[in-house]
Amino acid sequence: MKRLLAVALGVLTAIGGFVDIGDLVTNALVGSRYGLSLAWATLIGLVGICVFAEMSGRVAAVTGRATFDLVRERLGPRAGLANLVASFLVTGLTFVAEIGGVALSLELVTSVYYLLWVPLVALAVWLVIWRVRFSVLENVFGLLGLALIVFGVALWQLHPSWTGLLHQVAVPHKPDGEGTPTYLYYAIALFGAAMTPYEVFFFSSGGVEERWTRKDIITSRINVFIGFPLGAALSLAIAAVSALVLLPVGVNVDTLGQVGLPVAVAAGKIALAVAILGFVAATFGAALETGLSAGYTVAQYFGWQWGKYVRPREAARYHAVVLLSVLAAVAVLLTTVDPVKVTEYSVVFSAVALPLTYFPILVVANDPDYMGDSANGRVTNALATGMLVVIVVASVAAIPLMIATKAGQ
Amino acid sequence: MADGRQLDLQLQLLDRQVVDAGGRLVCKVDDLELTATDDGRLLVTAILIGPRALGPRIGGRLGRWMAGIAQRLSTPDRQLPPRIDFGQVTDIGTAIAIARRRSEVDVAPLDDWVDEHLIGRIPGAGHAS
Repeated sequence: MKRLLAVALGVLTAIGGFVDIGDLVTNALVGSRYGLSLAWATLIGLVGICVFAEMSGRVAAVTGRATFDLVRERLGPRAGLANLVASFLVTGLTFVAEIGGVALSLELVTSVYYLLWVPLVALAVWLVIWRVRFSVLENVFGLLGLALIVFGVALWQLHPSWTGLLHQVAVPHKPDGEGTPTYLYYAIALFGAAMTPYEVFFFSSGGVEERWTRKDIITSRINVFIGFPLGAALSLAIAAVSALVLLPVGVNVDTLGQVGLPVAVAAGKIALAVAILGFVAATFGAALETGLSAGYTVAQYFGWQWGKYVRPREAARYHAVVLLSVLAAVAVLLTTVDPVKVTEYSVVFSAVALPLTYFPILVVANDPDYMGDSANGRVTNALATGMLVVIVVASVAAIPLMIATKAGQ
Repeated sequence: MADGRQLDLQLQLLDRQVVDAGGRLVCKVDDLELTATDDGRLLVTAILIGPRALGPRIGGRLGRWMAGIAQRLSTPDRQLPPRIDFGQVTDIGTAIAIARRRSEVDVAPLDDWVDEHLIGRIPGAGHAS
């Protein structure tokens, strides 16, 4: 029974982590423009996040050290600090996007302008981080996030040609009239949305908070290998309904409302309500994860006490970082910057920052001195090293492509 | 610690997490204090902690600023970086374990300040969730 409950961690990181504001927006946007011809990028991202999270989970279980702990240990204080700044900024950008996403979802329900919701959402996020037990927050938002399955129902209701969809996935083909750089730019965006660094910070730190030991490696693997593919399937469903409903009428997604539109068209009002509940749960859950992760990165670099398993007074500097991050995120949103635009940039910068944390974890997971007989096996290692190449290529190509395509225009 | 094991200070000691007797996280090994004996050998005598220990290792202008600001903010009775005597170390593994409690080693004046002036004042700060 305890094992069964532990899988909920996987469900949360799958729904609130795999599907967050980045996946909602990017998948709908790409679906409405390219159909499923970029599904391969999501699938590569799925393999990548599985490999990355499995290694981080295993390292956390064997050594009790979370991801950013090892970043400094392996890279030294100087490169580690540069890494911290980059990872913190990307996580912060994602945090801004998630809070904005919750506010936009609430605007869809209430028609109250999202900027009025921003301070309230931020307060709620902070209160949950401050007071609610780790296991409660992961289960509640994990389960509510399952509401997004309604995108699968909507896809079913649209009675698509399944062979046609499969063909689009299996035989990638750039639609006519679209430039190659733009196509590749969106591939990187989807890859970054699937493989956001904070997911791994949260996953490994969560493992340490729950005091994983070697015995929990199997739980961690179940979480990764069931939870993440489930999240990827939802991502693909979002792209598919968008491709079926919005692509033919030439709607380009640039608001959160348009992400939910195909659900309303396909399955009606109630389904739309469920979808918006899913938006709120997934973005709120991800806001908690990114907020906690902002604190994790800084505290783990400097060696401060962190986490929700101790009294906040015992982890004072950690909670101060979280609190200041929340205030900073509100300040950024109140500049009236468009949260959907922030999201689009955050997924690309996630891809840029990935090698910084992936590489040290790969090195540690391979170190038999450190990991004993739980070090990477040959197959894992081949896969993980191949993934490193993909990650580095995506990271290096991202910014030139962003400039060349004017961020995908 | 006389177990005859060879240690690479750079790889196996520097930048590792220090954990107290109760499993709480204390600090990182920001730097090490080495003391020369009469016969010219170097002994590791303490773990040095905080921006004044870390700053010089980061180097450059940023490192100087870090160390400089911490020095200016330190009270007259804390003119040297906080340290943990190496005799307190009980285990060197993926973390460095020490024999004392975090509250006893008193190595993080910033933590105390943040606790006293910010976090400790928020309702609920004294209860684990």
